[in-house]
Amino acid sequence: MVKDTTPIKKKRKTANSGDNDAETDIYRKVVEFEEKESKLRSSEGDAQIYSNICADIRKKLAEMMEINSEVKQEGQRKQELLLDVCLKIAVIKKLNRVDKIQHVFGKDLLNVEKQKCDSIKLVYQNLVYELGHLMHEVTKCNSFKSKHEDIDLIDFSDFMKGAPSDITDKFKNVDMNNSEDLHNLTLARLEYELQQRKSLAKSYETLQEEKKKLAEDIVERKKKLDGLLPLLNTIINATKPLQEYLNIPIDKVRAEHKLAQLLPDPLYIFYANVVAYSSVHDVNLKANILGDQEEAAQFNENECNNEEIESDGENETQETEEVVEVKKRRHRKSVQVDPMEEKKKKILELHPLSVEVTLDIKDVPSITLLLKYCMKLKIVTVTSKVNLPSDITGNCAQEILSGENILNELTPGDFGLESPNPGTPYLLKKVGLGSFRNLVSQLGYAYKWVQTCCGLDFLDKKAWNEEIGRANVEFVFKTLNKRLTSRTTLAKQLEKLEQKSIPQIPDSIEKPQNVISNLTKFGSTTYQDFCMAKHTKALLDEDFINPSDLFFTATISRSSAHLNCFIVIKNDYPISQPIFSLNLIFNKQNLSAENSDQIRDMEKAINLEIKHDSASLLAIKFTFLCSYLDVLLETNFPKDFPQSTMFLKNISGRNRRNPFKFRKIGTGIFTQY
Amino acid sequence: MFILTLFFGKIHKLCEKMVNSLNKNFYNTVLSQAFSPCGNLLVVGDIFGAIHIFLLKKILNSENNLSKEELTPKFCHTVKEDLQINSLLSTQTHLIVGCVGEVIGYTWRNLKANKFTQAWTIELPENKDGFNKTDVNCMILNEENGQLYAGCGDNNIYVFDLETRKLLKTLDKHKGYIHAISTINNELVSGGEDGLMNIWDLKTTKVVHKIEPSTDSKVARPNLGNWIGAVSANEDYILCGGGVRLSLWHYRFLSNFTVYPIDDQGIHVAEIYDDKILAGGRSRLFYHMNFVGDMITEIPTSSVTTYSAMHQDSPSKILTIAGSSPKIDICSNFMYRDQQLSLY
Repeated sequence: MVKDTTPIKKKRKTANSGDNDAETDIYRKVVEFEEKESKLRSSEGDAQIYSNICADIRKKLAEMMEINSEVKQEGQRKQELLLDVCLKIAVIKKLNRVDKIQHVFGKDLLNVEKQKCDSIKLVYQNLVYELGHLMHEVTKCNSFKSKHEDIDLIDFSDFMKGAPSDITDKFKNVDMNNSEDLHNLTLARLEYELQQRKSLAKSYETLQEEKKKLAEDIVERKKKLDGLLPLLNTIINATKPLQEYLNIPIDKVRAEHKLAQLLPDPLYIFYANVVAYSSVHDVNLKANILGDQEEAAQFNENECNNEEIESDGENETQETEEVVEVKKRRHRKSVQVDPMEEKKKKILELHPLSVEVTLDIKDVPSITLLLKYCMKLKIVTVTSKVNLPSDITGNCAQEILSGENILNELTPGDFGLESPNPGTPYLLKKVGLGSFRNLVSQLGYAYKWVQTCCGLDFLDKKAWNEEIGRANVEFVFKTLNKRLTSRTTLAKQLEKLEQKSIPQIPDSIEKPQNVISNLTKFGSTTYQDFCMAKHTKALLDEDFINPSDLFFTATISRSSAHLNCFIVIKNDYPISQPIFSLNLIFNKQNLSAENSDQIRDMEKAINLEIKHDSASLLAIKFTFLCSYLDVLLETNFPKDFPQSTMFLKNISGRNRRNPFKFRKIGTGIFTQY
Repeated sequence: MFILTLFFGKIHKLCEKMVNSLNKNFYNTVLSQAFSPCGNLLVVGDIFGAIHIFLLKKILNSENNLSKEELTPKFCHTVKEDLQINSLLSTQTHLIVGCVGEVIGYTWRNLKANKFTQAWTIELPENKDGFNKTDVNCMILNEENGQLYAGCGDNNIYVFDLETRKLLKTLDKHKGYIHAISTINNELVSGGEDGLMNIWDLKTTKVVHKIEPSTDSKVARPNLGNWIGAVSANEDYILCGGGVRLSLWHYRFLSNFTVYPIDDQGIHVAEIYDDKILAGGRSRLFYHMNFVGDMITEIPTSSVTTYSAMHQDSPSKILTIAGSSPKIDICSNFMYRDQQLSLY
């Protein structure tokens, strides 16, 4: 510092010694000069100079030392040397200053350089940072997943078809490998999708709104309806006295219909059909449902549940059976709670509801049919009852009207003794019950027509011809009606016959007059008795007789001649003709078709040649039979029986044929042909 | 108890069967039969006015049991509804049907082809009362002169020329209707309901001889009547029967030769065949005897009364017996029944 100040002072001194105004300038000029000078000077030269001066100084100092030591008073010389050294020191001082300035200068340069370096580094660092950032971005881009991939787009083909043409035109020939195109396509599809979705969303909203409106509407209407019920109830209650007064059974019908809902399906079908039939046709047909409503409801519910368990039940019962068996061995016999008995009961179970139909026709006794449904056998059975009119008292007459056989053979061969369900025999066998026939008394008759009326359709062993188509409710009731009518007239005829008089026949029918033979005996008999008789063998052999037919005997007499007849009346009388089997006892002779052509001829005439649709067929046959007996006796035994009937020839032909053909000529005449 | 269950078992079985409705053929009666000239067809006529045609070939040649179909008629044709066919006659070309009131001819050729067109008909002369038509009870053809003899229900025997079908003669001496006729040489033997057996000379149409069997106490059966149901004659004998017993008479001496001790209620069929006698009627047996009355065989019949028995030797030996039954019995050896045909 000292060194520093001195030159400055010196300079100041010099400056001060100069002009005052110019003093500052000079200073600055000095500084500038010094700076310039220092720039121009090389540091190495200065260092050389410095070392040379230092060496000079040392020399001079050494000379001075010598001077001092030699004590020679050479003052002058010493002075000179001193001056020289001082000069020299001044030069060093100058050098030092220059050096200092140079140093400052260099330092400044260094600083500038350093600053430059710093800025470069900064730039570099920026770049590195940018690079890292970009790299990050790139990876980010690579790992980017577009949301559109999750969107279900409209199918490409559908898009091409559905979208407006100005969008799709570009993609008509799109290259699927060109990612650009593909991108565009996807974009377009997305765009389209967006539009579609927007429009759909819009329509959704509108519909939703509409729905809301409708729901409100419904709620409102429901409210109104709910309000209606009590009103209606009050109206119904109000009309009750009126109903009672006017005798309109609306309520009863309603209750019945409610009950009908609980009927098993087959009976329901039948019930509905009967009600429908009776409402359309002018028939006095009443259908009632018998049974307790609650019980039926309970039963139906149980039935539903049972069906669900049924499949498991099978195994369980087997297991329990085994258990029972084990128990049997161990315990007393009384433990046997027979599972078979239970099963039997189960098999024969009837539905608690049954349908009762009453057919009431004028002039004919009413018939009541009771239909029951066997739940397990899946068949409908019938029992019937005819309400006998008080005027029919005869045994035979009552017999033919009694319900059991009146329903036989409504369709040919249908006796109701066999279950129409082909599965029944197996089912019965399984639980050790015999044939269905034995159960008829317990369950009722299972006629085929009943099953068809109830909508049950079974495979039939025999093909059932066209009858099946007709076996609907209408057919059944019409047939039943016919059957009842014909049975009633038959019963009336039998009633008369039992009183040993031949019933009147309509005048329109040509009949012989002046009949002498008369009915002396009439009664019912059985198939067994019919079989016992000798002269019936041929008829039996040819299967003309069915055990279920109705059998009667009659005797027609003229003095000592007695004609004993068996009369077989078919169930479907008068469609099938009654069959007569004759046996004449006269003069200890026992004549029948087996040993007499005349009796055979007479039987032929009575069985084949008297044909009539009329229900009074039996009476007609009896009338003719009496006159035939007259003819027979008068032609063959003219001595014993004077002629009362008119005939041209008593015999003709090689077979000595008797005239059994009645012709209404005059009072009536008998001829052979 | 056991019997009872058995009985009910039977009833049940019957119940399951479909019961047949009464068939009118059950009461049918066959009155006449005829074989076709070839011998393979049997035609029978019944009381309902129908002819039934059976094929014999199979029935005769089969060893096995025949199906029901083979034992029933192949064809059936109603000639006249409800008018009985009393007689049938077979000629070389025609089947002649003796119906009621008319005689109808069918050609065999047509019949074999199941064609029932009538070749011709002969109307019988109207009856006096015009009401009851005349039965043609029996017919015989004289092949030499082509004359057809028809014994009829109006007590007359008519002689027709078969070619022209003109009535040639009427033999009208009977007082009852004619049951049977038989020809021998130039004479005709007839038996009638009146109990007379007339022997006619066909040239003069006069009754040459008259036999009244009922006057013979050994032959008469008053309870059955005097009628003659069947006659058959050969050179030496006349066989007759009916209400009267079956009896054999000498042709020349007109005297009773044999009375046959058979238990019948009336003879309708009697024939002298070789040196034997075939006879049937109201009896469940058909008799085959020799002249003196020794029984060769008694064939049980299906019918109450036998009205027709026909036999032929070729192509196979066969005897068919028919009557008041829908069944026709067939004997191939004349000894016992080996087949039974049925009309239904």
